[in-house]
Amino acid sequence: MRGSAAPRHEKQTRRQVKAAIAEASIGLRLRRRRTLLTAVGIVLAAAMLAAAIVVSDSLGKGFSRAARQAHLADIIVRFDSQPARRVARRINALPDIRYFSLRQEVTNVSISSGANSAGNASVEIVQVGGRGPHGYALVAGHDVTNQAGQVVVERGLAAAWHIPLNGTIDISGLGAEHVVGFAEEPDNVAYPLAVPQIYISRQALGPEDNPYVNEAQIWLKDPRYLNEVLVQARATSYGVEGLRFVTRSGVRVLLDQAAGIVIDLLVALSLIALATAGVLLAASARAEVERRMAAIGVRRAVGAPRGFIALTQAIEALLIAVPAATLGTLAGALATGGPSDRLLMLLNEPSAGARLIPLLAAGWAVSIAIPTLAAAWPAWRAAGRPPVELLRGAELKAHGRSVFGRRTPGALGSGGSLAVLGGRLAGARRTRLAATAVTLGCSTAFVLLMLALASGLSNLETDPQALGKRYQLTAALPPSAVQKVKKISGVQAVAPRYEDQAVDSFSLGETIDVIGYPGNPTTFEAPPLTAGHRPRGPDQAEVGTGLADALGLSPGSLLAVEFQSGKELRLRVAGVVGSFDHDGRVAYVPAKAMLRADPFAPEELAIIVKPGANTAAVQKTIGPAAAPTTGAIGRGVPLVQTLRAILTAIAIVDGLVCLYALTQACALIVQERRRTVAVLRAFGAGPAAVGRLLAGAAAALVVPAAALGIVLEATVLGPSLSSLAANYATLPLAPTTADIAAVLIGLALAAAVAVAWVTHRATSESVVLGLAGP
Amino acid sequence: MTKTVGAGRAARRLLEDVNLEVDAGEVVAVLGRSGSGKSTLLHLLGGLDLPDRGRITLADEDLTRQSSQRLARTRLRHVGFVFQAFHLIEELSGEENVLVPTRLPGAKRGGERRAKKLIEELGIDDIKERRPHELSGGEQQRFAIARALVNDPELVLADEPTGNLDQENGAAVLELLRRLEDRAVVIVTHEPQAAAIADRVLHLSDGRLSQPAVEARRARLGGAAA
Repeated sequence: MRGSAAPRHEKQTRRQVKAAIAEASIGLRLRRRRTLLTAVGIVLAAAMLAAAIVVSDSLGKGFSRAARQAHLADIIVRFDSQPARRVARRINALPDIRYFSLRQEVTNVSISSGANSAGNASVEIVQVGGRGPHGYALVAGHDVTNQAGQVVVERGLAAAWHIPLNGTIDISGLGAEHVVGFAEEPDNVAYPLAVPQIYISRQALGPEDNPYVNEAQIWLKDPRYLNEVLVQARATSYGVEGLRFVTRSGVRVLLDQAAGIVIDLLVALSLIALATAGVLLAASARAEVERRMAAIGVRRAVGAPRGFIALTQAIEALLIAVPAATLGTLAGALATGGPSDRLLMLLNEPSAGARLIPLLAAGWAVSIAIPTLAAAWPAWRAAGRPPVELLRGAELKAHGRSVFGRRTPGALGSGGSLAVLGGRLAGARRTRLAATAVTLGCSTAFVLLMLALASGLSNLETDPQALGKRYQLTAALPPSAVQKVKKISGVQAVAPRYEDQAVDSFSLGETIDVIGYPGNPTTFEAPPLTAGHRPRGPDQAEVGTGLADALGLSPGSLLAVEFQSGKELRLRVAGVVGSFDHDGRVAYVPAKAMLRADPFAPEELAIIVKPGANTAAVQKTIGPAAAPTTGAIGRGVPLVQTLRAILTAIAIVDGLVCLYALTQACALIVQERRRTVAVLRAFGAGPAAVGRLLAGAAAALVVPAAALGIVLEATVLGPSLSSLAANYATLPLAPTTADIAAVLIGLALAAAVAVAWVTHRATSESVVLGLAGP
Repeated sequence: MTKTVGAGRAARRLLEDVNLEVDAGEVVAVLGRSGSGKSTLLHLLGGLDLPDRGRITLADEDLTRQSSQRLARTRLRHVGFVFQAFHLIEELSGEENVLVPTRLPGAKRGGERRAKKLIEELGIDDIKERRPHELSGGEQQRFAIARALVNDPELVLADEPTGNLDQENGAAVLELLRRLEDRAVVIVTHEPQAAAIADRVLHLSDGRLSQPAVEARRARLGGAAA
């Protein structure tokens, strides 16, 4: 014999693949609606996965990306203006310095462009043409040169004010400047969350031999020695006033925490969506294989290999999955790409751009692999059974017991109904019922959490109490007015509130908001306690988490602050509290101690209104000196709005996942019970009766899912997220009755849509065809 | 009536100008080979399918002019089906299967009472709690017959009712169908034994219904005797 077996085998395999492709194509053409439903499931799962990838990667790695692109300095030092040479000399004396860049930051500059204006802009005068980076990344246009009339503006400002590249911006004292580039500097969030930032070149302002600077950006050779360098820097900065150090890791802590919650939610949700798609697609494939059992038997009987049967199913699934996964991945990426980019812009971080492509491609591949395997596996298992059994139309698995027990007495006896029968049909597939109900339950819990979060975010915006402020009004009145205000009807408590800025005595830099109350400050202001205890004596203070992070403070540490008067206040840290104010760089101290060090600290009255009393009326009685307390994140509204947009997008996709799960579950019941439905129709069941049957099946899924969802949110998700957020705010995330009602109505609507659609499909089919087989 | 199945070159005329009238209390057996169109005839008679041409009248109503919903209602009130493969719902007991048609919206009242009576009459009272896979073929077919009769239909259509049964059980089922009173019964089968219990036997061949010579003679004799 000539020729080896290998080429023959290869030829045979090619022939088999061709035959499998042809057979799969025919199958798809014959089952268009079923194909469409499967495709919808894959589109949703792929969209969810892509959304998770986009948001997780964009937000999770945003800071690292921004720091890398902008060459963010390891240490940023701010100080009162000094001659550049003096500063350079001091920095050159430090160990491990790779390079540094000096700039002059001019604050509270008035700027305007078109109809927009701001009086608090920060103009950064940078040295161009140096050997190292400047600490900001150009995202469009080019950097400033030594030519006059050029500025680079931060991207957030350009977007908010719609300033185009090559547009102009008026800067007080400089006139109209030409915008040559947009920049991102990740040491702070962007406008409007922070003050607008503009960069101009020092050389463009005219020749200066030894200009004054007030900021140094320092890059280290080995960032592992950061602490040692910081110690040295503090030691050699004697005589430099207003010194403040900010480290790269310090910047990261603040920005990362905001994104963490959203990322965790998305990852969890995408896993749920994937599980949903996996379970339902696998169930659908299994049902399809069962339907074709006899056909598989015939193929096996005439000698078709087991692999060919599985290959045909796999190719059929591939033909559906490839376009569906492509569509879903694109849709998910596009839907979340916009809000993510907006959020990143607010955080002064660049979008991931093309870096997402490999990850999205991996997600796309997973979205294809799951349905393909889910289709091929049951076919492989089925093809392994004896052809005789297959020809008899044997089920893939022997009948299991119903979850409703072997028999439900009276289910169709007195008082029983078609809906009960529907429930029993759904219960016949215990594993699938449980998996689908758990999936729906998790989705329900997540939707409830989104609703609770959305109202929580609104509270942050509007309700000062969410941030620990217990007073509703402030009044620009002296402490002597306390008794007079106390007598006003509706006022429960009044106290003088002192607030001033100070610097940390040891680090000679970090600015701190010091807030003082006579007596117990927690009556008026009690941000959530994250460590330690409330102050118990006149020598104790509470500090915010931002300050604790920056200075390494913990309960028992010594807090030493220096006021502008030059006097120092030393107190023991009793507890650490979560606070959004001043990025958490805040200290609550006894008023008496504060006034000793800072006798002229600005003062106002904090007023608590009695429960049920009219705050507006109290404010009116006090007069123009009174003002309502606002939520502490007024400037953070765009951030909150963007977060809300992302949460809404997640909730919508989650709702669609629920709808898909219900539709697919009902469709599967009809597919598997095609003959049962046909028999019922032969005996006179119209669309209403079939609808009742399917409504019962849907109820068997929805009722336990709703209960599970409510319990899961109330006992696990809500409390977990509340404790995560406790570092910042009091966010009660337990579902309200209105939330529960809204979700139940949503589930009922989704079930109704699913039942109506599947009923229409089931009753459109010829009864005779239905009687012919599953 | 006339009925064609398939389309284009695959089109096949199964029934050609078929004319059939069945009276209440009459049992008609339609014999024919596999694929001769017996089941199609039954589906047309029961309003499950519509003819290309012709009329089907049941209880003074023309089924060919009814909407699908109206047809469903007509089936519910006037037609009972007995299938070769029984088509009992696996999740339900025998009794619950019998009760299914009575739970459909618009079903005649008194379904439970009738179901109880039928189950007693058919001798399946002792096994009514069993699920289909716990029943023999003959027992399953008895429950299927009870289900077909539970809404008290005027027309009972049986499609190969003995096809899945042994000879003894098959004979018993045919006897049951024979005993149905005041109802028109049409049995389609390829088994000649069914002819023994029928008042009238028809052959379906090449799309046309015909009466065998012996049957025609018997009918004529019967007519003369009457």
